[in-house]
Amino acid sequence: MLWLYLHFPHLLLDHVRRSRENPVATAIVEGSPPQVRQACPLAQQQGVSPGMRLKTALSLVPDLAIAQLKPSQEHVILEQQARWLYRYAAQLVLYPPDGLLLEASSLLRLYGNLDSLWQALIQAASRRQLTLRLATGLTPKATRLLARADRGQCTQDTATLTRTLNQLPLADTELEPGTLTRLRRLGLTHLGEVFQLPPKELARRLDPDTLAFLQRIQGSRPDPQAFWQPPHRFHQHIDFICDVEQTQGLLFPLHPMLSELEEDLQWRQVDTDRLQLTLHHRDGDTQTLSVCRSGPEHRASAFLELIRLRLESHPLNAPVCAMALTVTRFLPRDTPSGTDLLGETFDLREAWQTLTSRLQARLGEQALQQLAPHADHRPERAWVTTPLQRPRKPGAERSWSHPPARPLWLLPAPEPLQQSPEHWLAGPERICSGWWDGRQVQRDYYTAQLPDGQVAWIFRDVRDGWFIHGWFG
Amino acid sequence: MGYAELTCFSNFTFLTGASHPHELAERAIALGYQALAITDACSVAGIPRAWAALRGSPVKLITGSYFEVEASEGAPLTFTLLARDRTGYSQLCQLITTARRRADKGRYRLEREDLDRHCLNRCLCLWHPLSGNEQEPSDSLADTGRWLQARFSGSVWITVTRTLEPNEERQLERARFLSSQLGCAIVASGQVHMHARDCQPLQDVLTALRHNTPVEQAGHHLFQNGERYLRPLSVLKRLFPDSWLQETLRIAQLCTFDPGELRYEYPSDLVPSHQTPASYLQQLTRDGERRRFPQGTPITIQALIRKELTLIGELRYEHYFLTLHDIVTFARSQGILCQGRGSAANSAVCYCLGITEVDPTQVELLFERFISKDRDEPPDIDVDFEHERREEVIQYIYRRYGRDRAALAATVIRYRPRSAVRDVGKALGFDPAQVEQFLSGIDWRDQASNWRQQILDKHLTRNPAIADQFFTLVNRILGFPRHLSQHVGGFVISAGPLSELVPVENATMADRTVIQWDKDDLESLGLMKVDVLALGMLSAIRKALSLVSRKLGHPFRLQDIERENREVYDMLCEGDSIGVFQVESRAQMNMLPRLRPRCYYDLVIQVAIVRPGPIQGDMVHPYLQRRASTEPVVYPNTGVQGVLERTLGVPIFQEQVIKLAMVAAGFSAGEADRLRRAMAAWKSDGDLTPFRDKLIRGMLERGHDEEFAERLYRQICGFGGYGFPESHAASFALLVYVSAWLKCHHPAAFYCGLLNSQPMGFYSPSQLVQDARRHKVTVLPVDINHSQWDHTLQARDEHLRLGLRLIKGLSTEAGRRICEQRPGSGYQSASELRQRATLQQRDLELLAGAGAFASISNNRHQAYWQLLGHEHEPGWLLGEACPGYGSGPDIALPTPSEGQNMLSDYTSLGLSLQRHPLALLKEQGHLKHCLNAEQLLDQEPGRPVQVAGLVTGRQRPGSAAGVTFVTLEDESGNVNVVVWLETARRQRKPLLTARLLQVKGVIEREGNTIHVMAGRLTDLSHLIEHLNVRSRDFQ
Repeated sequence: MLWLYLHFPHLLLDHVRRSRENPVATAIVEGSPPQVRQACPLAQQQGVSPGMRLKTALSLVPDLAIAQLKPSQEHVILEQQARWLYRYAAQLVLYPPDGLLLEASSLLRLYGNLDSLWQALIQAASRRQLTLRLATGLTPKATRLLARADRGQCTQDTATLTRTLNQLPLADTELEPGTLTRLRRLGLTHLGEVFQLPPKELARRLDPDTLAFLQRIQGSRPDPQAFWQPPHRFHQHIDFICDVEQTQGLLFPLHPMLSELEEDLQWRQVDTDRLQLTLHHRDGDTQTLSVCRSGPEHRASAFLELIRLRLESHPLNAPVCAMALTVTRFLPRDTPSGTDLLGETFDLREAWQTLTSRLQARLGEQALQQLAPHADHRPERAWVTTPLQRPRKPGAERSWSHPPARPLWLLPAPEPLQQSPEHWLAGPERICSGWWDGRQVQRDYYTAQLPDGQVAWIFRDVRDGWFIHGWFG
Repeated sequence: MGYAELTCFSNFTFLTGASHPHELAERAIALGYQALAITDACSVAGIPRAWAALRGSPVKLITGSYFEVEASEGAPLTFTLLARDRTGYSQLCQLITTARRRADKGRYRLEREDLDRHCLNRCLCLWHPLSGNEQEPSDSLADTGRWLQARFSGSVWITVTRTLEPNEERQLERARFLSSQLGCAIVASGQVHMHARDCQPLQDVLTALRHNTPVEQAGHHLFQNGERYLRPLSVLKRLFPDSWLQETLRIAQLCTFDPGELRYEYPSDLVPSHQTPASYLQQLTRDGERRRFPQGTPITIQALIRKELTLIGELRYEHYFLTLHDIVTFARSQGILCQGRGSAANSAVCYCLGITEVDPTQVELLFERFISKDRDEPPDIDVDFEHERREEVIQYIYRRYGRDRAALAATVIRYRPRSAVRDVGKALGFDPAQVEQFLSGIDWRDQASNWRQQILDKHLTRNPAIADQFFTLVNRILGFPRHLSQHVGGFVISAGPLSELVPVENATMADRTVIQWDKDDLESLGLMKVDVLALGMLSAIRKALSLVSRKLGHPFRLQDIERENREVYDMLCEGDSIGVFQVESRAQMNMLPRLRPRCYYDLVIQVAIVRPGPIQGDMVHPYLQRRASTEPVVYPNTGVQGVLERTLGVPIFQEQVIKLAMVAAGFSAGEADRLRRAMAAWKSDGDLTPFRDKLIRGMLERGHDEEFAERLYRQICGFGGYGFPESHAASFALLVYVSAWLKCHHPAAFYCGLLNSQPMGFYSPSQLVQDARRHKVTVLPVDINHSQWDHTLQARDEHLRLGLRLIKGLSTEAGRRICEQRPGSGYQSASELRQRATLQQRDLELLAGAGAFASISNNRHQAYWQLLGHEHEPGWLLGEACPGYGSGPDIALPTPSEGQNMLSDYTSLGLSLQRHPLALLKEQGHLKHCLNAEQLLDQEPGRPVQVAGLVTGRQRPGSAAGVTFVTLEDESGNVNVVVWLETARRQRKPLLTARLLQVKGVIEREGNTIHVMAGRLTDLSHLIEHLNVRSRDFQ
């Protein structure tokens, strides 16, 4: 069996650099004190190497461009690579953070020979602006080691591959540092020299795990691989026999599609909160509608209701000849809380979700916002609007024993005070804050009754101007 | 109307207070306050500085401290205690000590019960019932109030402040009600966190740092406004009823404690009951005289001793000298070598007491020069001990005086430029990696405007206003105390419990405690400390001396060394000083052939001249020229002549500079003393510019030329923080001579002593061993049958046998057993070694890796293979015949090559006795055109040459702008490479990362000192891939 290993020595770096027009020396750093994790070839030419402290790297390349390592992002990028390869190779293994292993035989059939496969992979990587080190090998471990050591060759020849493997320096073998030291003390420097020693004698002197590792490299011990499965995706497509011109006409065919979705979700015990509806028009255009719910859901009826509302506010701009329903986001199911098994369950949370989902479907996702307190002394910054969130469990909010006196009606912007107050009711309260974002305030606030009887929240600012900032009820 | 501020945090409430104590003090004076209390959280660390700033002003300093007691539920109980008098102060210190000792370093935990356990009857309690107690029901508050009243016999006040925050009216109402319930007066206070309102941004930054969040997200952790500052009286009058303000004055009047009253009481247990301290000191001195001058004390010395004793008596320093004598006597009884230095150390009395070995008959160091009667400052003597045995001395001090009477002084760790930039950057939410980049790129000498531009250039922020703010904040926070750490060895010892004098808190190190004051605080309060320091060279010298004694067959002591030996100076003049104390650095080595020391005093100068002070003051060249008689020695007047005569008219030492300020610029003694302090503090927060004008004006008025004045000022700046006084140089010079003498006359013993005292000094064991071999010392390898744990001398004490201690990772315990269990005929096999010395597999492997089996096996690889094979075999009983190893099938392992052996040596020993790696590479045909260090000696200056070697050092001395010194080691010695800034900039990679470096350059020489001025640098590290060579870089 022939294996292919794709090693991306600086995956994240390539990804970051893609967005730059002119290549500059770039490094990915991690930790505190920051250490270089990946360095681009340009940076490496100037002496920056992985494992180096950022301080050292900067003394070598003062204008080094720096990006922080985000392991999750790295994984996403690796999965993207897996996805395009999956189109050709079914037997694919992910080696996070930066490698992919392929069983090459199916690909060889597709490309005819190794040379063209090799070239195709290299070109594909270069199209994606990824640095790639490629190797073939007879066992998964051997292939990986060769690729990582940049000793890959475009060959299937067993003798050549064995020879290359034998010449691999021990430092490149991913053996434990302790084991490496022992082997070095025995005067052994290359993998081939270790292979020559009798396994039984070797096992006595090194630990059994090391022997197993060596045997997996050689192939004398099985090395089962966990093949990668692309993440699940629900997709249904329907072609209409005659064009649909009204949204109502779409609802009927949607019904079975959603039922199927419900079944799929039920079977896998997950929920979703995001559907994607793709409408294909006769003229070749497509229109994509994404339908969101504010909470996870699996019932077809609930989805149908949402889509109906959504379509009502989005009239069709052309006749539709086909339609597809796609779901890629799946959420684990919560066990319902606050409900008892036998009693009546009136779930407030569910009612809230239904209401907000319907409002969002009708008005658009962004149109619905929620108010929240924000920790800032400046009144105009003491509150924020946030996208809708699921209501938190009671008790999570901060409770004020004696909240500061603030008017419920805060003016969008302070207005100059026109008449002098009749009665001063409270104050002054001094607020000086916000020097850090250029919107510093320096004000003395008072509560006062104006001649017309209204109770106003007024302030005098540092330049001695008087303003009304809000009204008390 | 008057006011006394009774609750005020300085920046010694770390990350809370936003002003220095002296800023608060100055502000209080300016505002016309009657008194100012400094009440840091469970601390009196800020008191000495506030006291110094308020001394002589009408504002009275009140000493106090703020406390929070965690409650099991609800808000904590918070109050401020003020010391009424000396007794109250002691009570306060003890309470702080209790709370601090209970918690980890930097924290405190006070419990309610502590107020029961401690007597606090001379303290006043300012209770803060309303802070954070919005919800607490009045009844429970009143209960707490009554509880406090009971503890402080009624001396409790309700403290109220107004900071114009919400719900203030309600709070005042509650305070009034509480006051009527308890019959307890209300007093106004400011809850001060800063001296002026414009410190608010800094206070916000500190708060954000304390909560580990950017300012922007700190939200309600920040104060709503900047009212917690020292407010003018007119403002206070508007805010508080008169009676509440009057109450502040009444309280201030009750507090009469002045920190100036604190006097150090030395332990009296040192003086026998029938003697006075003076008579006892006299007696000890006389005993010492007999020892030091068996032929009778010379008349001049007798007079000197009388004079010194009189001075000591007048200043009542007897106890201080007696304490030192006691410690030094203990060290001597344990055979621990020690040497005193500093003002007063190099006196005839100290010589007689054994505190120093500097012989007053050989050096005319006037004691008066070091102790001044005018300046009311304690004498300063540092005593260096062998670094490996200083702990014994410390433990002795703890034993002798008890842990409650002896503790280390604190060192205040302050914000330095880097930490300031980092922390302010963090508070402003800058990306930490970008901040690092900014830091590494910054040129600290650049002007302010440039800084700001750099912040914008590096995209730390796009907002110019923030860049300005950043800059301002960094400058403000510089020098702010960050935490208390332990001083390297400054002990404070007292007659009574120390915690009655100053609070004691925990240090990071287990079992170490520090007091809350640092050495400047002690000095300003006139308290004495004893510095117990560690010095590696003393260990090395003691070890070398004992080896010499063994060789000679009789005890050979420090004082037996022949003074002013010509050969020793000849050696030093050659720059042959690797391993010699103080003069072994690259810069010192270059200076030796230029200065050509011929006597002890030349060494004193040599030690002091290669320092930032004289170099920045351009004093080196003039001195050397005058010394070589190419420049005449002239003095502008006799006053200056008196100061500078011993250094040929060129100021070298810190004392001379201070004296010159007096003689040549007309500084008064007090001014000169302030200059000295400013120089010492310059590094952290000082500003010397106020002295500049006075100095230069004074010198011009007295007829000195401006150029000389400017140079002197630059020298003063250079001394800042690195001041090197003659009094220290004199003691160091003695050790320079002693170590040089050992190197010259007993090289084997010298290197052996040095190697047995590692880690210390400038050079690695590898470099020392190479130097030893160049000095014709035969060095023998580590061997299980010949080595001891330490390095030893063998073959009539002429051969140096490396010890097992060199093997990296080998435990001392295993090493000891190998030596103890060794049979007379030596170990015959590895199995015998394993059994007799009951060694672990790991130890055996380390020995095999180090080639220590050479006497029983000639192939390292095979020996190791056999070892590994028997790891899991059952052991044999001792006494049974040990079957030889090698029972397994024959395995073809590669025979170790010379390179592999060398590699192994470097990996496990850090050095190799085989050929030098460079010799090997050259044999393999590499580095064809490279000359070695020896060949360079025959080259003409100005010739282009190529050299190559292992990089063993990179240095960028502050004194030589932009130059990098690289030391290359080859098979014949060391090559000194000089890389100019431009060259360095173009070839950063090889310069900074190469382990094996090839240099094309031009040769330059001065006497026997040879430099290669680098042109092209080539990194050849790939030739020595696995070789582990340590380079000493940029320290």
